[in-house]
Amino acid sequence: MSTPATMTWQKNPALAWREIDDETVIISPNDSVMHELNDTGSFLWKNIDGKKSAAELAQLLAENYEVTPDIALSDTQALLEEMSSRKLVVSAPAAGGVSP
Amino acid sequence: MNAPLATSGRGPRQQFELSIGCVPLRLHISDAQLFGAASERYAAFTDVAEQPINIALNDATLTASEPAGFGYEFEGAVLQAFSSGIRFDGVKNQYALDSLLRVFLSWKLLEHHGFLLHAATVIRGGRAYVFTGRSGAGKSTVASLSPQGSVFTDEISLLRRENGIWRAYGTPFWGDFKAAGSNSSAPVAGIFRLLQAPENRVAALRPMAILRTLLPNVLFFSAEAASTSRLLEILSRAATEIPGYNLSFRKNPTFWEVLPA
Repeated sequence: MSTPATMTWQKNPALAWREIDDETVIISPNDSVMHELNDTGSFLWKNIDGKKSAAELAQLLAENYEVTPDIALSDTQALLEEMSSRKLVVSAPAAGGVSP
Repeated sequence: MNAPLATSGRGPRQQFELSIGCVPLRLHISDAQLFGAASERYAAFTDVAEQPINIALNDATLTASEPAGFGYEFEGAVLQAFSSGIRFDGVKNQYALDSLLRVFLSWKLLEHHGFLLHAATVIRGGRAYVFTGRSGAGKSTVASLSPQGSVFTDEISLLRRENGIWRAYGTPFWGDFKAAGSNSSAPVAGIFRLLQAPENRVAALRPMAILRTLLPNVLFFSAEAASTSRLLEILSRAATEIPGYNLSFRKNPTFWEVLPA
C-alpha cells in the first residue's frame, strides 16, 4: 500500500535520536529497540519536520543526491512506509487535504 | 559518619555515607542486619561529602515531598525519586539494595555526563582500559589476567566526562572475579569490545561502531524520552571522543601486548 505523496510527516516525539558519522541512531525508550538510518535515510530524517510531504522530501533528496525525481519519490515513500511501520514517524493530512 | 540517628518503631535508624563515581549518597537504614551488610559491602566506598543525596530504605518518613520524575520496580523492591531524597522500599537484602543503587546511579549520572557500563576496568600506566561485553564475553577473565591491584571493577564500570576528559571510576558492583572494586578514577585510554579468539588482535572502530558497542552494554532503566535522549547524547559524545576497538583475545595475559599504549 502506498502513502499519498501529499501527506505530511513528523517524527514520533517519543523517540530519542542522534546523528553520528552521517548515520542516525534512533532509540525507542519504551522497548529499548535501536534503529539505524544510513546516509540518505539520515538526510530524510533530518528533513522530516511535520510540514513536508513525501513529494517535498523526495524533491530535496533529488536535489542533494544523484537520483532522478521518480526514483527519489519511490525511495522516499518506501522509507516513510518502513519508518511508519516501525512507529518512527507518523503521518498527518496536509493542510486542506483529505485523509483517506 | 556511620552512627545511629534516631529510634523509630523498628529500631534505631542508622546512616551510612558513601560515594560512587563522585556521586555522594547517604543511606538511612533501620534494619540492623541490612545496615551491617551494606557497611561491609560498600566499605571501600565510604566517604563524607557535602550535601549527599539522602536515600531512605524502607522508611517513608524521610521523603515526604514532590515526586522527582523517576521510579523503578525490581522484584518487589521499589525506587522512587522525590525532590528531597530517594526512597528504596521493599528492600529485603543487600542484593536488592545493590540493584536499586545501580538503577538509581544510572539515572543520576545523566546530570553528571556519565553512565554505567557492563565492563571491566583495569589500570595500566595510570590510564583506564575499559573492557566491555555482555555476560560471558570475558570481563572477569580479563580482570583475573591483570596484575593484582590494577582492577577497578570486573563487572560494572562508571564513566564520566569531567572538564573535557573522560574518566573511569571503580564501582562496588562486582562480578565473578569478586573484586570489591576500587574507589578511584583514571583517564580512559580506550574502550575495548571483548571477543574471545585463538589469537590476540585489535581493530580500531569508527564512532558509530563504538556507539553500537556501548548501547547494548549500558545500564539504563528509564523509559522516558527526555532521559533516553540525554543518555544518547552522552553516549554519542563518548563514542566520538574515546578511542574504541574490537579486541580479539586469548585467555592469557598476552593480550596486553597488542593494546595501544
